[in-house]
Amino acid sequence: MAAGAATPAADRERGGRIRSALLTFLLVLPAGAWYLVLLIAPLAIITIFSFGVRAKNGGYAPAFVLDNYAAILGDLQKAAPFTASLSMAIGGTIGSLLIGLPLAYFIATRAGRRKGLFILLLVIPFWTSFLIRTYSWLIVLGPGSLGGFIGDLVGDDNFRILGTPVAVLIGLVYGYLPLMVFPLYVTLERMDRTLVEASKDLGAGRWATFRQVTLPIALPGLITGSILVFIPMMGEYVIPQILGYGRIYLVGNALVTDFLEARNWPAGSAKAVILIFVMLITVTFYTWFVNRGRKGREVSVL
Amino acid sequence: MADLEQYLKRISEHRVNRRGFLAAAGLTAGGAALAACTPGTGGGSSAAPTAGAIEDSLFIYNWSEYINPDNIETYKAEFGVKTVQYDIYSNNEELIAKLQGGASGYDLACPTAEYVPGMVEEGFLAKLDLSRIPNQKHIDPAFLDLAWDPTNEYQLPKDFGTTGILYREKLTGAPVVSWQELYDLTLGKFSGKTVMVDSMGDVFVMPLKMLGYSLNSVEKTELEEARKILLDLAPHILALDSDTYQVKLASEEAALCLGWTGPLLDLRADPATADTGYSVPSEGSLFWLDTWVMMADAPHPNASYAWLDFIHRPDIQALETEYNGYGTPNSEARKLVSQELLDDPAIFPPDSVMPSLEGAEDTSGNNQRLDIWAEFKGAIGG
Repeated sequence: MAAGAATPAADRERGGRIRSALLTFLLVLPAGAWYLVLLIAPLAIITIFSFGVRAKNGGYAPAFVLDNYAAILGDLQKAAPFTASLSMAIGGTIGSLLIGLPLAYFIATRAGRRKGLFILLLVIPFWTSFLIRTYSWLIVLGPGSLGGFIGDLVGDDNFRILGTPVAVLIGLVYGYLPLMVFPLYVTLERMDRTLVEASKDLGAGRWATFRQVTLPIALPGLITGSILVFIPMMGEYVIPQILGYGRIYLVGNALVTDFLEARNWPAGSAKAVILIFVMLITVTFYTWFVNRGRKGREVSVL
Repeated sequence: MADLEQYLKRISEHRVNRRGFLAAAGLTAGGAALAACTPGTGGGSSAAPTAGAIEDSLFIYNWSEYINPDNIETYKAEFGVKTVQYDIYSNNEELIAKLQGGASGYDLACPTAEYVPGMVEEGFLAKLDLSRIPNQKHIDPAFLDLAWDPTNEYQLPKDFGTTGILYREKLTGAPVVSWQELYDLTLGKFSGKTVMVDSMGDVFVMPLKMLGYSLNSVEKTELEEARKILLDLAPHILALDSDTYQVKLASEEAALCLGWTGPLLDLRADPATADTGYSVPSEGSLFWLDTWVMMADAPHPNASYAWLDFIHRPDIQALETEYNGYGTPNSEARKLVSQELLDDPAIFPPDSVMPSLEGAEDTSGNNQRLDIWAEFKGAIGG
């Protein structure tokens, strides 16, 4: 009798476990399918294509050659867009950080009841198309406005902002700033203000407090934000094309040339794979660098 | 200073969109289904009787705003076609990539002629039965039997145009009529005031024609000479820009431009920029020809033939020219086009220039050209 009574209970328990497993499976399914279809599959396709050859009329023809990689790695001039992209993306990330950190700090700690308003102001630009916002910078920086104004100030008729790396940097920082501010804001908002007071009570100056208290607390947000802005900046195409007047030749532009003008999908795919590796290496190095000496402490990256 | 609205309007002007990559992709994407939602007005009763029954829809894949909407309405009413679906692409590569990806369902498309041989080879296109397109007889023989389609079996010419020099006469003082002149001015007086379209095939025209070679040259030594000219020019170029070069000309930021005729009518219509000129350089230049082609698996062949014949009816074709501002290869339609357009060398190049024009071949597979192009792009602006 006793055994008979135990069985339904075990069954119920097993049934519950199965139901729970099923529920987990169903909940993970959309995200899993998303990753499989939109991340894993394209990556696999790009990798396979990168070993192929250009079909006679453009596109991809199956093959197994290393020419596409050899062409890029064996010729410094072909690597130029990569170094240009890398320096632009690093510059843009630093720029976003220099503007984003004080801004996030201000909103999180000093804005008081106007917090919501500031967050809203940061989000509003996203309601307009990215392309149109970038075009509008043509007017702001153009020779008829800021560019001409500074030109008049320094007395140089040929002074220009558009078509220079500065214009591209401004565009990059503008375009991706919110992605830096939000993660920083979230970590700083949760910061225990009494820690700052304690630091001051113990005699630390403003700089020491910032360096030893605020910055370490903000670090997870800082890493997340930096990666969030760095990655899209590496592949940026529209901003250098419009604000850089096509004078700044980045990987994104090289990819467009490969896919659209040369219709050489394998060459473009090889560049894309190399780009992914460059980003992986940079991001890994970066996270290692900022986390060094912080062993054992958990840092959320995303 | 132009305000944003005016500025964006200028960027999105329809004539730009035939080749404007970013502008077409970003600003007119919403206009894809141009005539899709309007039900046929005439019903089936007034349709002319034809041998094969005309299907009730037609699917066109084309450059943005490249067909006069009035003509689409007339067609629908006359042939009882209920829907004409009009999808847009912003460059030939997009069209080809889509077909290579196995897209089906399209009836007609308008690739530029040099892309047609490749499309034929891939088996994308149907042979045209010219007996079902009687109006084909109006096509000027100059646009028939071309190397792209020597037997006229696959393509029906649609519109043509040239690559040339746009200049602000107010700044240059006189028309700029040769590539050599463009070269000298760019290195000299107008350093930093010359724009070129961001298109490999078009930019290569300048050095190769200056040297007296074919613009399709793939000769190693000839390309090497062209490379030197391009690298000489690179530091003096203001921008490589296919999308907003008309804006740079309008603001006088640029005085010279290697470009297309598309934005010309709008620039001239504005009193402030009415001095904008266009010339087909005396050394010769490129002419492009967009052509109607039918897909091998076109689901509505009868409606397609009806369209192809309809669109080359002289009165209908003349309306096309008035609408899109590109030259028509239809000589009967030409007689019906307004004198103003006929006299415009940017739309109908004068007879003296015609022999110096050369059609482009697909040279996108030549690695030397690509390397030079990448080097040139990297050298711009130093």
